[in-house]
Amino acid sequence: MSQFFQQFPTVFAALNVGFFQTLKLFFCTLLGALPLGLIISFGSMSKFKPLSAVTRVFVWIVRGTPLMIQLLIIFFFPGLVWGNPIWGGGESGRFAAATVAFIINYACYFSEIYRGGIQSIPVGQHEASQVLGLTKSQTFFRVVLLQVIKRIVPPMSNEIITLVKDTSLARIIALQEIIWAGQSFMKGSHGIAGQIWPLFFTGVYYLLFSGILTLLFNKLEKKLSYFKV
Amino acid sequence: MRKKIIALVLSVLMIGLCFALAGCGDKEPAADSDLAYIQGKGTLVVGITDFAPMDFQEEGSEEWVGFDADLAKKFAESLGVAVEFQLIEWDYKVTELDGKTIDCVWNGMTLTEEVKAAMDCSKAYCNNQQIVIVPADKAADYQTAEACKDLQFAVENGSAGEEVATELGFKITEVENQATALQEVAAGTCDAAIIDSLMAAAMVGEGTSYANLTYTVGLNDEEYGVGFRKGSDLVEKFNAFLDAAIADGTVDAIAETYNVQAALIK
Amino acid sequence: MAILEVSNIHKSFGKTEVLKGISFSLEKGNVLSIIGSSGSGKTTLLRCINFLETADVGRITVDGDVIFDSDTQAKLSAKEKRDKQLKIGLVFQQFNLFPQYNVLDNVTLAPRLRAKELPDYKKNKKQIIAEIEEKAKALLAKMGLSDKLENYPCELSGGQQQRVSIARAMALEPKILFFDEPTSALDPELTGEILKVIRELAEEHMTMVIVTHEMSFAKDVSDHIVFMDQGVIAEEGRADEVFDNPQSERLKAFLNNINT
Repeated sequence: MSQFFQQFPTVFAALNVGFFQTLKLFFCTLLGALPLGLIISFGSMSKFKPLSAVTRVFVWIVRGTPLMIQLLIIFFFPGLVWGNPIWGGGESGRFAAATVAFIINYACYFSEIYRGGIQSIPVGQHEASQVLGLTKSQTFFRVVLLQVIKRIVPPMSNEIITLVKDTSLARIIALQEIIWAGQSFMKGSHGIAGQIWPLFFTGVYYLLFSGILTLLFNKLEKKLSYFKV
Repeated sequence: MRKKIIALVLSVLMIGLCFALAGCGDKEPAADSDLAYIQGKGTLVVGITDFAPMDFQEEGSEEWVGFDADLAKKFAESLGVAVEFQLIEWDYKVTELDGKTIDCVWNGMTLTEEVKAAMDCSKAYCNNQQIVIVPADKAADYQTAEACKDLQFAVENGSAGEEVATELGFKITEVENQATALQEVAAGTCDAAIIDSLMAAAMVGEGTSYANLTYTVGLNDEEYGVGFRKGSDLVEKFNAFLDAAIADGTVDAIAETYNVQAALIK
Repeated sequence: MAILEVSNIHKSFGKTEVLKGISFSLEKGNVLSIIGSSGSGKTTLLRCINFLETADVGRITVDGDVIFDSDTQAKLSAKEKRDKQLKIGLVFQQFNLFPQYNVLDNVTLAPRLRAKELPDYKKNKKQIIAEIEEKAKALLAKMGLSDKLENYPCELSGGQQQRVSIARAMALEPKILFFDEPTSALDPELTGEILKVIRELAEEHMTMVIVTHEMSFAKDVSDHIVFMDQGVIAEEGRADEVFDNPQSERLKAFLNNINT
């Protein structure tokens, strides 16, 4: 027990550093994937067939292959095949590569949720907007968007909580997120080795964070419950 | 009409992106001079894992120290570049090197045939031995390789330890790394492990992380070296640096700090 | 001069010709009802006039302005199309209120967005918005909804929702108001309140075109009746004449079916 208290400050500090990386990856992914997903969903719904076909194939490839492969390809491909390591080898380069891979992957998942949400809005909403003289963009932002948001909050909250846990995949390209930090004390780090409790302890971080997200999403859902779609 | 043009442009971009990802670029031959490449960017990125006493962080410190780390700092200094230590997944060490995300693998790396085939390696700078780790209270029973025959061994996947264990016909469980192998023994999921003697000295026995384990029999001798990209002119540069550093006592001084002087190759 | 002139509207979906050359006109302040069985093309006609479908051939004039001409339609910008379209208003069968806005905002949304295009909007923003709200409140008062301004559509009955949608269509001051089967989505006991509103509007000489299945109401409120069958106008005329003395066999059969 005294050993635990002796090790705790070191482990706690390392896990915090790792968790900061996890959070950074999480928020950067959301920041990129939420709007990119909307653009991709417009592409897949385009009336111009070649565009929608290409977009749907792209979404199929990205959703149909493991994120881990995408991480490895995006990080190693430029250096191995083009001979130009665009990411660099440092921690910031690994973070940039991981962020790009996560944004592309999650944007494709989000795009399908958006598409389902947008297509579920009754055509009457568009027609009413049209006869009232609203432009296409006014119709989307003033009439359709909030209804879409209300419909997609439950599937989006699922996907976003999955993202919290998926960030741990970035360790495959040696991004030192919280699992890496926890595991390092099994392998031996900072004079501590063979300890499994730091890894268990990372679970507390995930639980707390996904708990906070769940509360926020519930709040949002409640906030949007004043109208029915 | 304008919409159609936008849609067309977007389609072309998407197709282009697909081709770009599928890869149509040719692999460049190794740069004319790796040295010039590194001096051009001003940093030597050293691929490492957390591995006492070669590369590790002291409690409460973020600085990488150790026999390899300290020597790497001197080497970078001799090249006139900054040193950057980058933790890597050991399985991807060759990929990282070829993809230029690191510039060398310098982490108590045993010069196996496999390693020598995948990278251009420096000359050996350190001796090492694969030794058997068992719980301290059973050590008396396993003092020879013959006595160990019926044990279940934990070995690092693709390591020199695995190689020697297979040669001797031991029953093995492959694990991710040497530290995990020790953990298997500590947890009782394996009877014994085979790891590097240098690591064993730092991690096993009284006053270490694994006080209840001990090492018994040495199975073979081997050597540590530094791995560079194929065709790199840094190999020569490193060998010359090493000779000089041995001659002027730098290597000895660092070795003493980390208690590995007995293993040095001069 | 007629306020609405519809001439020679043709519309096909694939190989099916739904409208085979429809022409009619309407005097200012009059009420016209379009009747006919389902599939006769009356809803398609209404949708063509309201720009929800684009007629293949034809021309529509409102108050002397050409709002649709199949020869020039493709050349118009989106803004020109919107300006022309706003000369007429449409009340839907399914109300199509915006669920996330309360009653007042449903009525003021379009006028507020429209006002942003005014040159003096920035300078007189407060006053312009206040005027829009005043007008909306007056319209809603006329619809008997003064106590529902803050309510959301999901809190209203079907009849109340349809009254909001009438106020919403009138807020843009269209020259003609179109109704697409305004009582079909309502429970029978609620249709009366909508018919009463339309009748009041007729008394105020609002020009209206109503697609309806309510024959007694059509007869009661309309000045003019258009009977459609298989994509053509089979018969038209003054309401009392059409209902009391139908000429064509098809109209006779239709009225018989309805009455039995």
